Amino acid sequence: MTTTAGKYLSTIVRIVLGLVFLYAGVLKIIDPTAFAGNIAAYRILPYFGNYLVAATLPWLEAICGLLLIFGWRARSAAAIICILNGVFMIALASAVLRGLDIDCGCFQQGGDKTSAWSALGRDVVLLAMALSLLGRGRRRSP
Amino acid sequence: MHQGITRLLREMAGICLVAIAIGLAWNHQLLHNARTGNAPPGSTAPASAPRGQSGQEQQVVPLPLGLMQVKEFLDRKEAVIVDARDKAAFAAGHITGAVSLPLGEAAGRLADFAKRYPSTTLLVVYCNGYDCHDSHNLANKLIAAGYPTVFVFEGGFPEWQSAGYPVTGGTP
Repeated sequence: MTTTAGKYLSTIVRIVLGLVFLYAGVLKIIDPTAFAGNIAAYRILPYFGNYLVAATLPWLEAICGLLLIFGWRARSAAAIICILNGVFMIALASAVLRGLDIDCGCFQQGGDKTSAWSALGRDVVLLAMALSLLGRGRRRSP
Repeated sequence: MHQGITRLLREMAGICLVAIAIGLAWNHQLLHNARTGNAPPGSTAPASAPRGQSGQEQQVVPLPLGLMQVKEFLDRKEAVIVDARDKAAFAAGHITGAVSLPLGEAAGRLADFAKRYPSTTLLVVYCNGYDCHDSHNLANKLIAAGYPTVFVFEGGFPEWQSAGYPVTGGTP
């Protein structure tokens, strides 16, 4: 019973996490220039680097989201999402430490502003979800 | 165990490579324009033509910059702040240290501007806030003139003034 419940819960976590990343990725794919602007606001990368990340990162998010939804190579996708969330959290923390008042640029580009603190909180939840998928996959592997 | 980790890493690398390849292919025109700082091919029409973000052809547009970043750029003298409003508005009050380059006079004054500021100069353009599009239009002209690094301070003079940052001219 417990194992079955855990299996269902894991499936729900996997699909929800996949949908979140697919949604985030597609919104950025639609408007890469606006996403580049949001990255530029962090003042971490050089000018062209902002465009480069804006061109590629959304696709990585969307593909990982799809893999999680379909459950194919889900553990690898979860591992990538863990790393991505770690990078996002470092970037957000650095923005907070430098006193930058910026939109996190996580989802809707140019929409309502999301503060760095609430984005950090959200990333912690997403990281926990991805880690739970990673841990479960490891327990199941021989 | 070791084999499992190797397989996981290999899969992760494969996913990343596929995503990067698709992203680069999908946005190749945008990246080319961003790297060269050139206007997109075929856009020889005047810069005042309306430009949608979801058009068929992606183009480099000046990146938006927030109030704090503009302040930091100015404090560290890392950027030249360009006022896109007309002369009267500039005289009535402008960001301290800003250079006036009214959009209406840009065509005639860009050559002189280019002599004073080399193409490597980082530029931040502003006008009268979010409803004002002169800053975007001027920034596009500056990009087309060969300045690859142009930002737009969308909050413009109203946001700067209301934040209590240094202003020159006008009444308090």
